[in-house]
Amino acid sequence: MTRPSPKEAKAMADVAGVPVNAEVAARIANSIGPAFEGFAAVAGTLPFDLEPASFLLVQAAKDARKAST
Amino acid sequence: MTAEPALLSLTSVAQAIAQKRVSSREVTQSCLDRIAKWQPRLNAFMAIEAEAALKAADAADAKLSKGHLGGALHGVPLAHKDMYYDAGRVVTCGSKIRHDFVAASTSTALQRLKDAGTIRLGSLQMAEFAYGPTGHNAHYGPVHNPFAFDHITGGSSSGSGSAVAARLTFAALGSDTGGSIRMPAHFCGVTGLKTTYGRISRAGAMPLSQSLDTVGPLARSAGDCALLLGLMAGADPQDPTAIAGPVPDYAAAARESIKGLRIGVPTAFYVDDLDSEVARILDETIAVLKREGAHIVEVELPDQRQLTAACQLVLAVEAAAFHKRWLIERPQDYGPQVLMRLQNGLAIPGVSYLEAMRWRGPALAAHNAAVAGVDAVIAPVAPVAAPTIAESDVGNSPDAESVIQRLTRFTRPINYLGLPSLAIPAGFTRGGLPVGMQLIGRSFDEARLLRIGAAFQRASDFHERLPKLS
Repeated sequence: MTRPSPKEAKAMADVAGVPVNAEVAARIANSIGPAFEGFAAVAGTLPFDLEPASFLLVQAAKDARKAST
Repeated sequence: MTAEPALLSLTSVAQAIAQKRVSSREVTQSCLDRIAKWQPRLNAFMAIEAEAALKAADAADAKLSKGHLGGALHGVPLAHKDMYYDAGRVVTCGSKIRHDFVAASTSTALQRLKDAGTIRLGSLQMAEFAYGPTGHNAHYGPVHNPFAFDHITGGSSSGSGSAVAARLTFAALGSDTGGSIRMPAHFCGVTGLKTTYGRISRAGAMPLSQSLDTVGPLARSAGDCALLLGLMAGADPQDPTAIAGPVPDYAAAARESIKGLRIGVPTAFYVDDLDSEVARILDETIAVLKREGAHIVEVELPDQRQLTAACQLVLAVEAAAFHKRWLIERPQDYGPQVLMRLQNGLAIPGVSYLEAMRWRGPALAAHNAAVAGVDAVIAPVAPVAAPTIAESDVGNSPDAESVIQRLTRFTRPINYLGLPSLAIPAGFTRGGLPVGMQLIGRSFDEARLLRIGAAFQRASDFHERLPKLS
């Protein structure tokens, strides 16, 4: 997972249906780059069967819920 | 009874009205008098509805005189962040785009406070669409910190923090997606509760990021937050993410001792690169908790930078998706910084967003394992006290996002994990600026945080200090 270049950021915004100019694309790439770098160690490592809803299962697990009673 | 009822706590004023030691009209007039004096300096209110508030207060007094107590907050005047839908009223969301938006329904959280008997003073300022941590607003001007007018309040619940600190309202609803309750609580010297994701219904609250948004109060004490949480928490058919099950007695929990509780202090990240005064106040807060009987232990948390990054990916994409239509049709009607931040979400691929969402479960499990031996973790809300309005007005400059990320680096991991966190006033800098600390708990364990926060406030007076209008 690598930070998008300004050219890639512009292409993705175009595909998303909200075209931006080169200056805005450069700013976007600069702004979100650190998030891509910060998440790089996790990206591409997650197990196949993992779903986003696993968060709610962990949140509602017995140990966590016990705390509210 | 105090000569100025607006200075009472929420709990005290509710009892005083119920026991007819003061009327709702007297209380409401007291708040309105303070609003008239302070609003020109603070810009904390979006709308002030004095006539309607007094009329509602008279109605509350008339009911009470006939023996009808409407609820736990009968006749108590409040104002809230201007993003809670209230049927038939304009809800601006701090924006130009919604400057004349009239809500068709009332948010569940607001309705539950109305059902408890509260009356409306008006609405409070906020960052545009709740997307800004400083308190600046390109359309309605910055909100000012009551303890130092040229300093920021923090955001996005900027009006809530400022108005509660100046005793213009007894409490206020805020919302916290990346720190928007805790930052104003920290900078303005009030108590703010970011609730567990799912603890309070989000129905009728303006969305920013559906996976991260949480509703919560800012108030003058942990006890007052406990009272409000008890009234608002619980299942809601309008919001399937609001959890079912019994609502604990938070007010009772806030009265309990903390003797024997174990409080963790992170060994890294939250203690790195702190302003020296924030570091001093963290040490002093730990010392107070120790004196109150808590055991202080070190905790080694998983890499918080990864959580912060994941939070940014989720927030940016979800916010951009909510705003896409206006990004196409009305980009000129956003403030420059909010437009810039919304555009960021356009360039994050769907796969990256979903990876960040898929990792939430394992990340929370890893956090739970790391804190298994403690009841709560204590950490600063931010590495610094409130900067000035001028120095933090970064607009859409190239380094704006990095400035924002640095300011909110201690709050975002908690939003990503969906955990509760209570921000409490913990001290003042030598220059007189408030500094807060956050108590971070397990999912749905707000009761323990309120217990610790209330114990700290019984042993300190930072939450009672009043700003002065000079």
